[in-house]
Amino acid sequence: MKKKKTIRKWVQLVLFLLIAAISVNHTLVESGKGVTFFSTASLHAVCPFGGVVTIYHLLGLGTFVKKIHPSSVVLMIVVFSSAILLGPLFCGWICPFGTFQEWIGKIGKKLFKKKYNRFIPYKYDRYLRFLRYVVLAWVLYMTAVTGKLIFQDYDPYFTLFQFWTGEIAISGFITLGLVILLSLFVERPFCKYACPYGAVLGIFNLFRIIPLRRNETICINCKACDRVCPMNLPVSTSRIVRDHQCISCYECTDTDGVCPVENTLAFQSSRYKEAVK
Amino acid sequence: MRIRSTTAGLVLPVFFILGILIASALGFWETESSKIPKTIEEGDFAGLADPADIRGSYTLADVSKAFDIPVETLAKAFGFSDAEDPAAVKVKDFEEVYGVTGDLEIGTDSMRLFTALYKGLPIETDSTTAIPQPAWNILKKEGASDTETLDKYSDRIVSLEDFKDATVSSDQQTDTEDERVIKGKTLFSELLDWGVTKEQISGVLGVPMGPSGMSVRDYCSEKEIEFSAVKDALQELVDKAE
Repeated sequence: MKKKKTIRKWVQLVLFLLIAAISVNHTLVESGKGVTFFSTASLHAVCPFGGVVTIYHLLGLGTFVKKIHPSSVVLMIVVFSSAILLGPLFCGWICPFGTFQEWIGKIGKKLFKKKYNRFIPYKYDRYLRFLRYVVLAWVLYMTAVTGKLIFQDYDPYFTLFQFWTGEIAISGFITLGLVILLSLFVERPFCKYACPYGAVLGIFNLFRIIPLRRNETICINCKACDRVCPMNLPVSTSRIVRDHQCISCYECTDTDGVCPVENTLAFQSSRYKEAVK
Repeated sequence: MRIRSTTAGLVLPVFFILGILIASALGFWETESSKIPKTIEEGDFAGLADPADIRGSYTLADVSKAFDIPVETLAKAFGFSDAEDPAAVKVKDFEEVYGVTGDLEIGTDSMRLFTALYKGLPIETDSTTAIPQPAWNILKKEGASDTETLDKYSDRIVSLEDFKDATVSSDQQTDTEDERVIKGKTLFSELLDWGVTKEQISGVLGVPMGPSGMSVRDYCSEKEIEFSAVKDALQELVDKAE
C-alpha cells in the first residue's frame, strides 16, 4: 500500500520541480542566460486556468487576454478532458500549489496532530467552501471587462513561482503569506476556499464518469476515509461521492489508500453489486 | 471500470503529452503571443487586420507579416535600418530609443499610426503621437492614404535626430511641473506630489510603483509595460487630483 501511495507524491514532486524550472528558465532567457533546449515558456503559458479566463475574449473578440497564449487553451482542454473522466485529478496530482500546501501541512500535522485540519466544524465549513465560486465569478468578470490578468496580483501560485522577478504586487505576497500560515492549521486552504480553477474543476465532480464509490454493504464504518480526506468530506456516509471539493487524491480508497476492507471504496464507473444475503 | 492510482498517475501526463503533440501538429501549440492583431469588426475595412491592435511586443517582422509591409520599409521609417537585425526590433523599443520630446512621442502609437496611413486604414491616436520624418517621406511616396488624410497629421512630423539627442532642460522640467502633464521624464515622485496615491499608480501599472526617483517611462521600459498604454490613465488620475 505504501508503495502505491507514493506514486502521487512522486508525480507531485516532478511537476513541482518542472514548473519551478520553467519559471526560472523563463527569467534567465529574458536576460539571455537561459537554457534554450528547455521550455522557455512563461508561467502564464503553461497554466490551464489562463484558458478559462480568456474564453470570453477568445469567443467574443477573437483575441487572447494579455499574457495568455494558445498553449493555455490547449492545456485547459486537456485538463477538462481528464476531468470528465476522473474529476479534478489536476488538483490532487498536478497542481504545484496544491503540492506546496500539502508540504506546509506536514508541519501543521506534526504541531497539532489529530486536531490538524479539524478546527472548523464541517457543518459550517461546507458553506465556506463555496467562497471559491465567488472568487471565480469575480476573476472571470474582471478579466472580461479589463482584458488583463486581474487575479495575478492576488495569486499566491504566481507569487510562489515568480517572487524573484519584481513583478509581484504586495497583495500577492500577503496572499501567499496568509496561505502558508493557514496551511499550518488547515489542509489545502487555498484549494478549499479561494482557488478559482479548483472551483471550475470541482464542477466536474457532479458528472464525472468515474466517481468515488463506497460499497455500503460491506463497509465497516471505521471512518478512516473521513479522517484521511484532506478536503474533510464525509466519505463514510456517502454511497457515491460527488462533492465539488473531491480532488481525486486516492488517500481514502481500498485500492491505494487507508480503507482496510477490500472492494469497498474505489474510483469506478459501475455500482457495487448488492451483497448476497 | 475501476481506476487505480497507478493508472490515474498516468492519465494526466498521457493526456498532456497527447494534447500537446496533437496541438503542435495542428499548429495550435504556441507559448508566446501569436502576434496576430485582431481584425476590424465593422465598416468598409471589416475583416482586415487592425493597426490599433499592434502591441509593443511585436517585432518589425511581426508587423510586416500582419500588414504586408516590407521590414526594410518599417526599419527605414523608424530609423532602424542600421540595426544588427531590423526584423527583430520590437515596437516597444521605440519608446526607449526615442521617447518624448516636447509634446510629441515616438512609441507604439507611432507604429500604429504609420501602419494605418500606409495601408489606408482607419485609426484613432492621441494628439501626442509623432510621425518620424523618414516615415512621413515613405507615406508620401508609397502610402495608400491620400494627401488630404496625410495633411491632417502634418503637425506630428518630427526629426529622429531631435529625439535621439533630446535632453530635458531645467526650464522644460519646470514647465512640466507647472502643467502637470505626464511626459517621458515624469518621475513617480512628481505623480505623488501631484496628489496621485501609490495604490492608484500601482493599479494603473498592474505592478507595484517603482522607486520615487525613477521616471515612469524608464520603469515601464524595465517592466515591459507600454508607456503609451498607461500614460493616459495616469494623466486622468493627475487631472482628477488637481
